[in-house]
Amino acid sequence: MRKCLLLFLLLLILVTSCLKNNSPSANGKKKFTIAVIPKGTTHEFWKSIHAGSNKAAQELSAQGTDIEVIWKGPLREDDREQQIQVVEGFAAQGVNGIVLAPLDNRALVRPVSDAHRAGVPTVIIDSGLDSNDIVSFVATDNRKGGTLAADRMGQLLNGKGKVLVLRYAEGSASTTEREEGFISQIKQKFPDIELVSTDQYAGATRDTAKRASENLLNRFGDEVQGIFTPNESSTAGMLLALQDIGKAGKVSFVGFDVSQTFIDALNANQLHGIVVQNPFNMGYLGVRTMVDSLLGKPVDKKIDTGVMLVTKENMSSPEVQALLHPPLDQYLK
Amino acid sequence: MVADIKQRRLFLSSAVLQNWLNRVGPVLGLLLVIGIFSLLMDTPARFLSPNNLRIVLSQTVIVAIGAIGMTIIIISGGIDLAVGSTIALTGVITALGINDGLAPSVALLSGILVGGLVGVVNGLVITRLKVVPFIATLGMLGVARGVAKWMANQQTVNMPGTWLNELLVMFPNPPWLLVAPGVWIAIVLAVLAAIVLRNTVFGRRVFALGSNEAAARACGIATDRLKVWIYALAGLLFGLAGVMQMSRLRQGDPTVAAGSELDIIAAVVIGGGSLSGGEGSILGSMIGALIMAFLRNGCQQVGWPNYIQEIIIGAIIVVAVAIDRWRSAHA
Repeated sequence: MRKCLLLFLLLLILVTSCLKNNSPSANGKKKFTIAVIPKGTTHEFWKSIHAGSNKAAQELSAQGTDIEVIWKGPLREDDREQQIQVVEGFAAQGVNGIVLAPLDNRALVRPVSDAHRAGVPTVIIDSGLDSNDIVSFVATDNRKGGTLAADRMGQLLNGKGKVLVLRYAEGSASTTEREEGFISQIKQKFPDIELVSTDQYAGATRDTAKRASENLLNRFGDEVQGIFTPNESSTAGMLLALQDIGKAGKVSFVGFDVSQTFIDALNANQLHGIVVQNPFNMGYLGVRTMVDSLLGKPVDKKIDTGVMLVTKENMSSPEVQALLHPPLDQYLK
Repeated sequence: MVADIKQRRLFLSSAVLQNWLNRVGPVLGLLLVIGIFSLLMDTPARFLSPNNLRIVLSQTVIVAIGAIGMTIIIISGGIDLAVGSTIALTGVITALGINDGLAPSVALLSGILVGGLVGVVNGLVITRLKVVPFIATLGMLGVARGVAKWMANQQTVNMPGTWLNELLVMFPNPPWLLVAPGVWIAIVLAVLAAIVLRNTVFGRRVFALGSNEAAARACGIATDRLKVWIYALAGLLFGLAGVMQMSRLRQGDPTVAAGSELDIIAAVVIGGGSLSGGEGSILGSMIGALIMAFLRNGCQQVGWPNYIQEIIIGAIIVVAVAIDRWRSAHA
């Protein structure tokens, strides 16, 4: 019994000392600890978000609000349970705010509401959450991204042909919107383009995406003239599969997101367009919005972080270069 | 006397039939799967084309090489749950090796050896610390995955292209290979492992160990040392599977292959392996791996959603084992 009491006391001391870290620091400056929770940490996309949030932290700290960004995500991109635990952990730890890219628009509702009740506000980035307990939704207009991809596809195929859509994963709101944006734009604007397969999913990793692509290409490879994939892993998997069977460059391929591999593929005419989001800006605005709200400033409920189509032709323009090469090294060291 | 002989002949022929059924059971299953999908497909020619066969074989290699090692472990009465993590770890190690400027062959070797090392640790924990294989390798599942993420700095490891990337391509170079070099490697290893299990002292001891460990020990087999050898040997194979995984993705991914241990165990079980030890065959396990790959491939091309494929694979595992039980009860 006494041992229990002792343990309890120890825990209490530990918890209070943890909480103390978050109170305003001695010199009167405000100090906020903000947890940024991505969907995964292995995609290059998330590195940019990380760099962007670090930039916001550095800027704000220079302006007199001390910001500490804690970066922690589930390592696997589809592990909702792990991400829920990360959110719960931060809420219990008592950070000042959470910036979250939810893996699922429903599964993360409860932990976010719980955090809200515990006094920890959440800004949602990248992918939607069906909740009113959030400060703001800072993200790419994914539907618009899908529409841009469809316009490019229509232009590449001169408005007619057969197109295959390999979806990303069940339950992911952002990619579903891209897919729907693509499909509805094709149907409305290019009635002569036929969508031959739109109901297969790439799955969470490059490996699953490559496997699904190989299987689909065997079935439809000879008849399709166009392919659309809605995120980095599905685009990478499809690209690998196309390269392996020697079809890369022979079909019009429009992807989503960016990595060095894709830039090389654009140059080699194996990829004919990628819709690029601005993750750096997303991480930046996510943290800024969180801090604005913590400081009592009004913030918009929905903030668009921008999206654009990158092709071989416009790739060297300064605008695109800035987007393709965010200053990662500057902010991640 | 005559009746006795007749009885014996009857018994013999039924035993032969039994044996034959054991062999071809999984093969029949595979043909059934392929046949059913050809009927369901609106383009069966494409499903049965050499190209699709190439795809399926390339997709099977990782599970197949893993299943060779797992078959040996399962025959010996053990289990290894850490395969998926070992694959991720060795893939990352190989990719890091190439990045550090090692020759591809050296990187390949280091990946394989790290797999063997993981196996040795498993074997030592099982024999020295007396932890049952299920728990020992469950622990290793976490440890190896964690080390992989740590080594990879929580990122995927991209590396420059080498000939290692060509191991699992669909159209091999030179073309007379017909299928990817990795497929040939898997076939050669499977044949070697089958010969070792069937015709060597080591193989007989593995079966003896799995059938009755106490009896094996009483016969003078150093069972502890044998177990360490078995896990080490299987570990080397898992390491090679990791290199194959890296070759397929052209990067070392510390999160890859989570759950593939279950695919690999399922392949062995569908192929007639018994989790209580003493039974199993390399050929059966290879067929088991192919059945699952064809199911995945077929479901996708018919246009069925993923969940149907998961339900079917689950059902097949249970049915395969149930048939096996029924056969041994009537033997």
